[in-house]
Amino acid sequence: MRLNRRAVLGSLAAGAAVLGAPMVMGQAAPRVVVVGGGAGGATAARYIARESSGAVNVTLIEPTRRYYTCFFSNLYIGGLRDMESLGHDYGTLASEYGINVVHDWAVGVDRDARTVALAGGGSVPYDKLVLSPGIDFKEGAVPGWDLSAQNAMPHAYKGGSQTELLRAQVLAMREGGTYAMVAPPNPYRCPPGPYERISMVAHVLSEVNPTAKILIVDPKDGYSKQALFEEGWQKHYGGMIERIGPDFGAQNTSVDPAAMTIDIDGAVESVDVCNVIPAQRAGKIAHDAGITDGDWAPVNPADMSSRADPDIYVLGDAAQQGDMPKSGYSANSQAKVCANAVLGALTDSRVFPARYSNTCWSLIAPEDGVKVGATYEPTEEKIASTESFISQTGEEPEVRAATYQESIGWYAAITADMFG
Amino acid sequence: MIRRGLAALAAAVLPAAAAPDHELVHNEIADILALPADTAYGAWLASECTSCHGVGTEGGIPQIHGLPAGYIVGALVDYRLGARQHEVMQTIATRLGEEEIAALAAYFSEAD
Ligand SMILES: Cc1cc2nc3c(=O)[nH]c(=O)nc-3n(C[C@H](O)[C@H](O)[C@H](O)COP(=O)(O)OP(=O)(O)OC[C@H]3O[C@@H](n4cnc5c(N)ncnc54)[C@H](O)[C@@H]3O)c2cc1C
Repeated sequence: MRLNRRAVLGSLAAGAAVLGAPMVMGQAAPRVVVVGGGAGGATAARYIARESSGAVNVTLIEPTRRYYTCFFSNLYIGGLRDMESLGHDYGTLASEYGINVVHDWAVGVDRDARTVALAGGGSVPYDKLVLSPGIDFKEGAVPGWDLSAQNAMPHAYKGGSQTELLRAQVLAMREGGTYAMVAPPNPYRCPPGPYERISMVAHVLSEVNPTAKILIVDPKDGYSKQALFEEGWQKHYGGMIERIGPDFGAQNTSVDPAAMTIDIDGAVESVDVCNVIPAQRAGKIAHDAGITDGDWAPVNPADMSSRADPDIYVLGDAAQQGDMPKSGYSANSQAKVCANAVLGALTDSRVFPARYSNTCWSLIAPEDGVKVGATYEPTEEKIASTESFISQTGEEPEVRAATYQESIGWYAAITADMFG
Repeated sequence: MIRRGLAALAAAVLPAAAAPDHELVHNEIADILALPADTAYGAWLASECTSCHGVGTEGGIPQIHGLPAGYIVGALVDYRLGARQHEVMQTIATRLGEEEIAALAAYFSEAD
C-alpha cells in the first residue's frame, strides 16, 4: 500500500484559511467565459462563481434552456425514469450564483483578441475561456448515415428528443422484429453506454415484444464491463441479443436509412429499428478555436488547460487527457480541477494539486446494477489511472440492488453539483 | 500509547487481513482529530466527494454534510484499513493521508 501523506501545502500551521472573497489581481473583475452548460461546463461555471463569491465575472454560453442528461437516458429507454426527471435548467446558476447565462451558440473564438463570437451576433470577451462542448459525430463514419438520417436511424447519443425518439421506435417495433445497434469505435463518450442501452432495450422488449431480436454490430474487439454484461444478458434475456464483432466484418458496415437495411461486410439485413452511434470527435467549437490535434483537444494533465493556448481550458468529452473515460463523472471531476486553476490564475486564491476520480454505474436489468471506477493523477504526459475497481461476475442480487441504489444517489448528487 | 501513523497502520493490518487492533485504530483517530484542520484544503478535497454525496437522501449514498468529525475520521480510517468495505470508498480513501482526512472531517462537520 502506498504511503500517502501529502504535505504539498507546506503551510498547514500557517494555513488558517482566509475566508471571504478572494482578492483579484489587477483592477476590474476578471472575466471567465464557459462554453457548454453540460457536465463539465455547468460544474466549472458553478465552482468558479461560488468560490470567487462574485470576484470573478462568469458567463455561461449554452444554446438549450433545458439540459437533458445522457446519463440515465438508458433508464428512460428502459421505462425506469421519465424524461422530465432528466431535465435541468439554468435558473439557479443565474439567480443564486450570479452567472450570466447566455442561451446562444458560440460560433468562433478569436484567441488574439480573446473574444467568443455568438451566433446571435456580438461577442463576449474573456480572460480565461473554458470549453466543454461535448462531442460531435465524425462525418462518413458509418457510410449511408449522416445527421439528416437521424430520424430514421437515431443515435440517441445526445440527450433529449433523440432519446425519446429511440424509445418510441422500440415500443412501436413489429412483433418479433429486429433492433440493431451500430456501436462506435474507441474513443467515444461513456464506454459502457451502448451496452447499458442494449440491456435496457432488452428489458423493454422482453416485456412487450419477447420474440424480438437485438443485433449489435460492433467494430471493437471488446468493450467496457463485457463479462458483466454478457453474464447479465444470458441471465435476464436468454438468447435475445446477438453481437457481431470485427471477426465477422463489423468494421465494414454501412446503412441505408430509406430501405431500413444494414450491410455488414456484404450481408444485407432488414431491421426495424437502427440505432447508429457513429465515431466521435470534440464538439465543433473546439476545432474552430484551433486547439485540436486530430479529433480531440489535448490538455495539460495538471490543470486541464489546452496544450495550444494557456488561456483556454478544455473539459469532458472534448479533451484528450489520458486514462479517464469520457463520462459525465469525469467531466465534473475535471471541472473542479480547472475551476481551482482558473481561480488561482485570476485571484489570490490557493491552488491545490489536481486529483481526479470517476465511477460509471450501469444497469443491466432493474435492480441489477454494476460499476467500474478509478482514481487518477496527473503525470507530465497524461492523466494516469492510479487505483481502480470493477463489479464482479456472480455477485449476489443484494449487492447489485445496492449498486443500483447508489447510482440513484449519484445522479441526484452530481446534477446538484452541476446546476446548484 | 503507541503512535504508528495511518500508513504504517494500514501496512501492518492489510497484508494479514487481520482485524485491526482497536486501541491502535482508536489512537490513530484521536491523532488525526488533533491535527490542525485546514478548512480551505478541506473544501477543495470535499469537491471530490460531492459528485456522489449530496445534501438530502435520495438513493443509496448517505449524506455526509453535517456529520461529526470523529465519525468521518473513523469511517475514512476504516476504509483505509479495509475494516469497512466498499469499492468506491476504499479506492478514494487509499489516497487520503492524515492531513487530508483531518481537513475533510473539519469541512464536512461544519457543512450543511
Ligand atoms: C447513453 C449515454 C449514457 C451515459 N451514461 C453516463 C453515466 O451513467 N455516467 C456518466 O458519468 N456519464 C454518462 N454518459 C456520458 C456523459 O453524458 C458525457 O460524458 C458528459 O455529458 C460529457 O460532459 P461534457 O461537458 O463534455 O459534454 P455535455 O454534457 O454533452 O455538454 C456539452 C454542452 O455544450 C453545448 N454546446 C456544444 N457546442 C456548443 C457551442 N458551440 N456553443 C455553446 N454551447 C455548446 C451543448 O448544448 C451541451 O449542452 C452517458 C452518455 C450517453 C450517451
